[in-house]
Amino acid sequence: MVKFGSGIAVKHENFKTCDQAGFCKRNRAYADAAGVTGWEAPFRIAADTLNWQNGQLQGTILKTIKEGETVRLPVTISFLESGSARVVIDEEKRQKGEIELRHNSIARKERYNEAESWAIVGGLDISKTAKENREEKTSTITYGSENQFEAVVTFAPFAIDFKRDGATQIKLNDRGLLNLEHWRPKIEKVEPEKKEGEETPPTEVEVPTGEDESTWWDEPFGGQTDSKPKGPESVSLDITFPGYEHVFGIPEHAGPLSLKETRGGTGNHEDPYRLYNADVFEYIMDSPMTLYGSIPFMQAHKKDSTVGVFWLNAAETWIDIIKAKEAHNPLSLGIGSKTDTKTHWFSESGLIDVFIFLGPTPKDVTKAYGELTGYSQLPPEFSIAYHQCRWNYNTDEDVKDVDRKMSKHQIPYDVIWLDIEYTDDKQYFTWDPLTFPDPIGMLKQLDESERKLVAIIDPHIKNKEGYHVVDELKKKDLAVHNKDGNIYEGWCWPGSSHWIDCFNPAAIKWWIGLFKYDAFKGSMPNLFIWNDMNEPSVFNGPETTMPKDNLHYQNWEHRDVHNLNGMTFHNATYQAMLERKKGEIRRPFVLTRSFYAGSQRLGAMWTGDNQANWEHLAAGFPMIINQGVAGYPFAGADVGGFFGNPEKDLLTRWYQAGAFYPFFRGHAHIDTRRREPYLAGEPYTGIITQALRLRYALLPAWYTAFHEASVNGTPILRPHYFVYPADEAGFAIDDQFFVGSTGLLAKPVVKEGAESVDIYLPDNEVYYDYFDYKTYSGRGSHSVAAPLEKIPLLMQGGHIIPRKDRPRRSSGLMKWDPYTLVVALDKQGNAEGELYVDDGETFDYESGAYIKRAFGFKDNVLESTNRGTKGKMTSSYIKAMKAVGVERIVIVGAPKSWSTKAVVKIGKTEARLEYHPESGGKAAWAVIKSPKISIAEDWKIEF
Amino acid sequence: MKRVEALVLLGTLSTSILAAEPSRPRGVGPDFAKFYKSADTFTCISHPEISLSPSQINDEYCDCPDGSDEPGTAACTYLSSLSPPQPLAGSENTSLALPGYYCKNKGHIPGYIPHMYVNDGVCDYELCCDGSDEWAGVGGTKCEDKCKEIGKEWRRLDDIRTKSLRNALKRKDALLKDAGEKRAGLETSISNLESEIRVLEHREQDLKKVYEDVERRERGRVVGGSTTGKVSKVTVLAGLAKARVEELRSTLLGVVEKRNKLKEKVAELEGILAKFKEERNPNFNDEGVKRAVQAWEDYAANRQGGEDDASERDVEAVSKEDSESEGINWKEWETEEEESDVEAIYKFEEYLPEGVRTWVHQKIIDMRIMLVENGILADNANSGSESKAVSDARASYQSVSDDLNAKRVTLGESQTDLTKDYGPNDIFRALKNVCISKDSGEYEYELCWMENTKQKSKKGGGSTGMGNFVRFDKAVYDEEVGADGKGVGKGERVTMSYENGQHCWNGPNRQTLVVLACAEKDEIWRVVEQEKCMYRMDVGTPAVCERGGSGGNGGEKGKGKDEL
Repeated sequence: MVKFGSGIAVKHENFKTCDQAGFCKRNRAYADAAGVTGWEAPFRIAADTLNWQNGQLQGTILKTIKEGETVRLPVTISFLESGSARVVIDEEKRQKGEIELRHNSIARKERYNEAESWAIVGGLDISKTAKENREEKTSTITYGSENQFEAVVTFAPFAIDFKRDGATQIKLNDRGLLNLEHWRPKIEKVEPEKKEGEETPPTEVEVPTGEDESTWWDEPFGGQTDSKPKGPESVSLDITFPGYEHVFGIPEHAGPLSLKETRGGTGNHEDPYRLYNADVFEYIMDSPMTLYGSIPFMQAHKKDSTVGVFWLNAAETWIDIIKAKEAHNPLSLGIGSKTDTKTHWFSESGLIDVFIFLGPTPKDVTKAYGELTGYSQLPPEFSIAYHQCRWNYNTDEDVKDVDRKMSKHQIPYDVIWLDIEYTDDKQYFTWDPLTFPDPIGMLKQLDESERKLVAIIDPHIKNKEGYHVVDELKKKDLAVHNKDGNIYEGWCWPGSSHWIDCFNPAAIKWWIGLFKYDAFKGSMPNLFIWNDMNEPSVFNGPETTMPKDNLHYQNWEHRDVHNLNGMTFHNATYQAMLERKKGEIRRPFVLTRSFYAGSQRLGAMWTGDNQANWEHLAAGFPMIINQGVAGYPFAGADVGGFFGNPEKDLLTRWYQAGAFYPFFRGHAHIDTRRREPYLAGEPYTGIITQALRLRYALLPAWYTAFHEASVNGTPILRPHYFVYPADEAGFAIDDQFFVGSTGLLAKPVVKEGAESVDIYLPDNEVYYDYFDYKTYSGRGSHSVAAPLEKIPLLMQGGHIIPRKDRPRRSSGLMKWDPYTLVVALDKQGNAEGELYVDDGETFDYESGAYIKRAFGFKDNVLESTNRGTKGKMTSSYIKAMKAVGVERIVIVGAPKSWSTKAVVKIGKTEARLEYHPESGGKAAWAVIKSPKISIAEDWKIEF
Repeated sequence: MKRVEALVLLGTLSTSILAAEPSRPRGVGPDFAKFYKSADTFTCISHPEISLSPSQINDEYCDCPDGSDEPGTAACTYLSSLSPPQPLAGSENTSLALPGYYCKNKGHIPGYIPHMYVNDGVCDYELCCDGSDEWAGVGGTKCEDKCKEIGKEWRRLDDIRTKSLRNALKRKDALLKDAGEKRAGLETSISNLESEIRVLEHREQDLKKVYEDVERRERGRVVGGSTTGKVSKVTVLAGLAKARVEELRSTLLGVVEKRNKLKEKVAELEGILAKFKEERNPNFNDEGVKRAVQAWEDYAANRQGGEDDASERDVEAVSKEDSESEGINWKEWETEEEESDVEAIYKFEEYLPEGVRTWVHQKIIDMRIMLVENGILADNANSGSESKAVSDARASYQSVSDDLNAKRVTLGESQTDLTKDYGPNDIFRALKNVCISKDSGEYEYELCWMENTKQKSKKGGGSTGMGNFVRFDKAVYDEEVGADGKGVGKGERVTMSYENGQHCWNGPNRQTLVVLACAEKDEIWRVVEQEKCMYRMDVGTPAVCERGGSGGNGGEKGKGKDEL
């Protein structure tokens, strides 16, 4: 029997190492050569070409290729109103199309310059206040809202230092690794004829000039050859963060939040972090290997300072990281030593296009990045509740049965999912007539308790005569083409397939039409979509994806756009789901596996095909936290593990962890045993149900955190460095986190057999156990009991957490339930909190149909104040929500003086107060019963 | 779907009080009315030390640790062992005093609905046809009273169910009768068999004796006749045998060579398959690949560990050329045989007078028999031609003996069958060899009552065994039953386990749990794959119907319809 244990590792030979990727090898060799003394960087700005205009510095970089011969590279350095800066370097010859392509290729000649149109949605306004000061060898630009930023451009060799308040934060080309492989014709070398019996001469020792030509042309891998009609065209740049020891971001990789060094050595990686979206089967832990999605955005962090870079390039990209320690005082033995993190970025093709964010806080950096690429979607509320998935629910009756059983066991869930087997012969937009004869009946039953269905729809379209979707795809010529310009054919789930080319606006338009209720028979408003395999996954393609010389819309090579591909498909589906019936505009929910910078605008992602073991459970949080750091917080891992059968304790712990995933879905491979929560048996089912109900009770807090992410990019799971940027002990912590701004500090158990966990407290504030109010205090590590039934979860003093404690069948049925407010007082006896509420499904919030409250407890007064901005739909919404009240207010850490208090004053009325004194290490608490106040209105309670 | 099990709760309730207590607080059922009578105070039902003002009943705030102050709201629903724990006022005890929110359902059957369904915006008509669960009208929810129509429809269906039960019970009686007859028939045939066997045993004894006598005599008869042909016969035979052995030997060598080549091919193929298994990507879920890998695994598991060296040596030895030292020494056989002692005795006999000759002859025969019986002399009775007398005697004996054995086997089978568990009251004896089938989506399922379960895919392929009948059991179920009455319902049900069906990819051998519930006719209602390759088949049959309803499905139960 095959068992998917941790013993089975990824099929390494399916994916390239740096050594097997020509440009990666070349650029590493280039870096090694540049490290040798006496090496001269060949790129300089021709000072006479420089032109400063309206916040932009434009000019030409000259690359010396041999004495007297240079290549012209136009450069634009833009300083943005937001305080971000952007450096773009192109190649004149390719830009003007003055090159020849090999193999009679019809591909575009330019370097790909449209990544921006997919990834960037705003924030490009040029600064009106930036000023340039040119000198003989440098140009200095001051910019930023208070001119606190400075960019010093050195002409020869070309380099830029970015400073904040006079101190250098980011250096471009400090190590001289800037490289842009200019176009050159292939010179066919005449092989000297070999005579019989003559030994093959030993291959020449590699000349350390980055000029190893062996990988310039026709690159073979895994039995397939990339024709590379444009020859070598990679771009590369080194980016140094002086004094920064930690860098985060550049998902998606399975490994710790704080990125490791990549050039060997104990505990370090051997290969660079790779970004080349791929369907990696059974991925391994702690690896720089590429996964399903990529966001080339990195944050560097040191005490009290965060900066970031965004490498806008959609081609295959690798990032080398080294950390150089330099002790300022050799006698100090590392104390006060300074670490520089030096990164080296290289992409196979495209432009050098890099954005610089100078912070100084993590919030500033994520906000600035979000201004460019967009903030996380404010998802429909059901989608942040629990999702019950499996490959596959076999029939519509099966779905209905699971639905009934969840209700019967009083386990809340919002969404049940269908993997590929629901289709008729893997043809999307159809239902298997034998197993799903009545999809509408199924959807209607789900709708009775406001539950939803998510069905999978992938980008591969079955190549089968008579299948209307493929017929139209072909007829309208909307599929990806092969290098010869014919429709590309590859293999995926349905067998022979074609791939929709969502770079093509006409393809998007057509795709939108396929989702209309009358086109997609058997769909209803409570049906939503899952986009899988959009890397794209091609079973018989190189590295399980498309050949790089495939051609997309307007003949851009796949090589140039590969990492964008998943997002374009996700985008098309998002557009389609906006308005499936004329006039009925709803927030889409679309899950994607592949993603790029900007995908956060479109819906959730998950970490792909993980395994049912403790290592994968532990790997989930660092990955999900890192997604948040990279601006894509709506993330989750498959609860229970996709491959293999989890033991019941693992499944239980995974649900407890999953209750803290922004995207919370249980999923399982088709060969695994059934594992719906009610099947586990006691005590497991009960504990799992508690975890699920915990998530549901805290949905108001989660939704508020999602709202915050949607307006300023703040992560939902916040790592320590993000919340306490000055606390160095917390910078690398990635197994505990804060939930939004709630002050909830969670460290779900991810180790087998654990009876307790050590939680690190970053400050001297009081922390209360969420479940029994036991107190913990004092900066440092504290042991918190964690038997199987317990999730280590603390409330930091000083926060007010909104909850809904009444269990219901789904989140939709909690809409009218009253709130419980938990006020966790800090040492000064104060607390504050926030709540965001809207209808959870439409865009009416854009017209003001929402509630935004700030709660504050100070000087024995608890107050709710409005933080919303009035819009045209505000009054009607508030009116409708007036009936939703607060049923209970729990004050944790209540002062002793309240022991004699029986009532509190609310305006002219009173409410009962019940006081419970401190006992056995558990904080005193008080409860205000039925205060009869509305969630939608201002009120004030005096204690 | 109409959920009836909650309504069943009321089976024990007396209903005459329904109309008599108009002042009960919302959601309180008649059984609990007594706790809510006082106009001055209310004490929590299981915490009488906590006393509240009556105005605190149904005030949307949960005061009682047992939830009894909120019979008509959802305010106490968070008091549940399924909810995250939190410090609670009063007691840690989270067991609730009330079974749910009481829906009066005038015109139909009153029932309890879980408190978490109260005022959630959904009209849960299946449990609460009067719509009173949504009394607050949250978000504009309006649930009109539908008890009249639902009750009417229910009564109509209940009539059908009652009739159906009546028919089912009739059918059950018929089945019981049939089973009884089959059992009686079996018993009769057992007793018949037993007496036949007794008779046959005697006859067998007799015939055996006859046969032994005849054979004994025959064995003593010394074979006379010419010796002239004998010598040449052996020689000819030896010659033929030698040629034949040579021919067989060369064929064997050819076969061995072919086998060795095939062995190499098998090893090569095994290598390919082993690699294939290791390198395949299970994520691609290709059924063909899965089957192939499974078959390979089974094959690999059953493969013999090493080569059978002994048999290999045998083949080697056999295939060697015969010589004086090895194999058969043909030369020994190609020469003529010397005279035997017996032949000398025959010759000697010729010189004796008649009387003496007879005596000597007799003595020789006796002696020979003695020698044969003591294993000293070879018995030649079977080696050559046998006399008709012996073969006739043996045939008669053999035939009776065979007959007897066959009857004994039949008797054994019949006795086993008689003691075999055919379910309650032996009723499934009537359904032996009966099969029913159901068309369900992708598959057609078949249940052969005491035999096996099968599925046949409509997408092609043969039928797959889902298990062979092993035993009856009983288990308690609590499930919804549709309006059509087709469902397992609530209570103890007879189940049949079918095990050891066809092996499953990455799973166990297929098995089926057949859960039986009362129905008018034999019918497979539903088949679900509960776990990978572990099926559950819900089957209706009159065989498990019982008077008064228990044992059947929800459809036949009293469920309080007469109480209204």
